[in-house]
Amino acid sequence: MGRHNNRVILLTCSAALILILLSTGQYGATSQGVGYIREGYHVFDKIISAPFVFVADIWSTYIGLVNTSRENRELRLRNDRLKVRSMILDELKSENRRLRAMLDFKEAHRELSLIPANLLSQDITLIFKTAIIDRGSKSGFHVDMPILSPDGVVGKVIAVSPHTSQILLITDPNSAIPAHIESTRVKGIIKGRGGNLLTLEYVRKAEDVKIGDSIVTSGLLNVFPSGLKIGTVVEVRRDVNQMFADIIVKPYVEMDKIEGIFGIAQDMEASD
Amino acid sequence: MLKIWKLQISLLGIFCAAILVEISIIPSLWAPLRVDFLIGLIIGQVIFIPFYQGFSFVVLASLMMEAFSGARIGLIPLLYVALYLATDLLKEVIYLENVYVQAVLGVLFYFVLAGSTAMITGTSFLGDMIVPLVAGMVLTGLVSPFMARLVGRLQTSYGLREL
Repeated sequence: MGRHNNRVILLTCSAALILILLSTGQYGATSQGVGYIREGYHVFDKIISAPFVFVADIWSTYIGLVNTSRENRELRLRNDRLKVRSMILDELKSENRRLRAMLDFKEAHRELSLIPANLLSQDITLIFKTAIIDRGSKSGFHVDMPILSPDGVVGKVIAVSPHTSQILLITDPNSAIPAHIESTRVKGIIKGRGGNLLTLEYVRKAEDVKIGDSIVTSGLLNVFPSGLKIGTVVEVRRDVNQMFADIIVKPYVEMDKIEGIFGIAQDMEASD
Repeated sequence: MLKIWKLQISLLGIFCAAILVEISIIPSLWAPLRVDFLIGLIIGQVIFIPFYQGFSFVVLASLMMEAFSGARIGLIPLLYVALYLATDLLKEVIYLENVYVQAVLGVLFYFVLAGSTAMITGTSFLGDMIVPLVAGMVLTGLVSPFMARLVGRLQTSYGLREL
């Protein structure tokens, strides 16, 4: 019994000593054994749970794929909607810019009574440069009415019906408008050439005409009010055998991109 | 007789749609480009339709075109009627039913029409007009056989001709 007691005491003391040693020892050194246990547990857990994880993975991936596919579809739809909305916004922005330019132009030309219109179609032939607009006699449009855009002179009305008008663009070979050079007041006639350029005719060679000179309407014939911008001189040729200079003018208005235009009402033309 | 006029009215309807394409849709893609659909229809008329009916169609169609052009009154009908008469004469000389011949005639007639209009108005083909002119010629050449064939197909569907 005494021997047995001694052993118990010895074991208790040894256990206490080990516990004391463990509690006072360095963490790394003492946790190594515990670490092996954790590692063992981890391996055990992996082995045991592997089949369940495998099944769960398949299930969740499948469900996930279904969700992803649905989500993808929704996102694509949303993306398409956003694209369309962005396109509409771009168009609205461009329209806003155009309308603002038209409004600014109208504000700047308060003395003119301007009737807005839009282009419907262009000439059916390659050579002639006419266009059809969506306003006619019911809106106050009439033959010989000047047509402008915020950039400058577009042309004049040559035929009207109640709701449409045909306009002769300044680039048409039949178009001729009295004009002058803004800086020097040298007068001439602006004529269309069929393409995108114009010519300023009947200007003597001796006159001072330079590249970059601005051409405006002279107001003669009482069709166009004076001072409306037509174009800028891009080329001047002086042939010794010719009496007049050959002056090529680029119109300010890009005839291929006309959108918003104005007709000048008759009462204001009379004031010219 | 009624069928024949139905055919011509259908063709005029198709031509109206072609005008819309010519003056609104094509210029919205590229403003200076013009494709002539009437040339193909004229070739088709010459091949498949009796002379007096084809002639009436050409006069009516070209008068309709006048409404959408700044050309002097009578110029467009004059040019297209001349074209119709020339094609009718060519029928005796060349095999108009051939698709390639129709395409070549489309190109040639487009050039002749543009050239004669330019000559009458005193316009010269300048640098910026050459590209749309060539593109218009090529596209008219491509479209002409289809338009000519359309006349034949319509005639067949109205029971005026056997396949």
